[in-house]
Amino acid sequence: MSQTAGTFAPHIVPPPGAIRESEQIAKLKQTLLRDIRRSAYVFRVDCGGCNGCEIEIFAAISPVFDAERFGIKVVSSPRHADILLYTGAMTRAMRLPAIRTYHAAPDPKIVISYGACGCTGGIFHDLYCVWGGTDPVIPVDVYIPGCPPTPIATIYGFALALGLLDQKLKARHHSEGPDEDVVPIHPNIPLQLRIDLEREARRMAGYRQGRIIIERFMHMLEAKEPTPFAERIKRYLEEEDDPRLAEIFARLNEIVLQR
Amino acid sequence: MLKLLQELFRAGDATVKYPFAPAPSNPNFRGKPEYNPKRCIACAACTIACPANALTMTTEPAAGKRTWMLDYGQCIFCARCEEVCPTGAIVLSKDVELAVRNRADLMVTADFTLRNCGSCKTPFAPDKEVGYVIALLIRSGLPADQAERRRELFETCPDCRRHAEVMRRVENARLMEVRP
Repeated sequence: MSQTAGTFAPHIVPPPGAIRESEQIAKLKQTLLRDIRRSAYVFRVDCGGCNGCEIEIFAAISPVFDAERFGIKVVSSPRHADILLYTGAMTRAMRLPAIRTYHAAPDPKIVISYGACGCTGGIFHDLYCVWGGTDPVIPVDVYIPGCPPTPIATIYGFALALGLLDQKLKARHHSEGPDEDVVPIHPNIPLQLRIDLEREARRMAGYRQGRIIIERFMHMLEAKEPTPFAERIKRYLEEEDDPRLAEIFARLNEIVLQR
Repeated sequence: MLKLLQELFRAGDATVKYPFAPAPSNPNFRGKPEYNPKRCIACAACTIACPANALTMTTEPAAGKRTWMLDYGQCIFCARCEEVCPTGAIVLSKDVELAVRNRADLMVTADFTLRNCGSCKTPFAPDKEVGYVIALLIRSGLPADQAERRRELFETCPDCRRHAEVMRRVENARLMEVRP
């Protein structure tokens, strides 16, 4: 469980003052996890994030998600903390405060890297003033990815850190096998028609929604049903409550009719 | 007192039941990208689109393979990979339970073999991508027998093809010159 700082990202040189965890502390931590019979207090350190993670942490302790059901409480001093929550990419300016916080918290403590920036540096990973995520500087026990992690992911991460739930994600590797030929999607629709439909849907609804809408439309177009497509789309347009969706479907139908 | 209790019962419980019950989710929520390596042609469109460089590819011509890598720790769940993927190999699910104890568990990797050029014998493109391009040309109206006849051309690298084309034109020009 315990990792020394900088083991995963060898290209990042650990900055001066990077912490290595001794074996004795690792053993103490196992005892803490086994025998913890009280609330776990969390102290939050923002090393240079965008504040999105902080908003989600406070959502997680709000009555709707209520992390305090499990005794997880956010405290305002590292001296009270069992869990240190590092958010944001490790910036040059916040490196020393982050290390000082680590030393201020009593041993044994659990360190959680929170959010994409905390795990690896996220979208800021190649900035001149960023030392990657938390782990080049401080030994991390649990990583919670997400940008930002939702309150659900936060609660799951805390439960994982305290050993209440099991880890679901495992490293995956695939090697190309024989006969893995890929056929183009939607084989029954002419290629040019598919491209025109996709372009129009994305122009009207934006990149992600456009794709979802065009998948629905082409599924309808390809479906082998006794009623012809023209009739089905007509019935659909009459029943659709959302005027925006109806307009997009009508426009796509026009493109199909032009052929 | 009774009134207060009545009000409390009427309002009900606002707290979500997670982790004892599945969490409520929005239909438009973007969660963990699910990767299906069997649908992937290693075309690298997703690695170009990825704003956080969570998706990367390394090509090793000596070993004849290309490695595709996804780091969930770096992913910002923007769904651009899903947008650009021509074969639907990567789709965002609603899963958010991604926390891990070991950093290496956040990685997804896949190896693809490279096809050697028919004339210079050096690897130039993933095997599956060449197959997909031929299938796409057939779909766009090229007769299957013609595609099969041109297979040798498709399996030649751009450099060799350019070289062959230049040689053909030089040869043509030479033939034109000797005409009186």
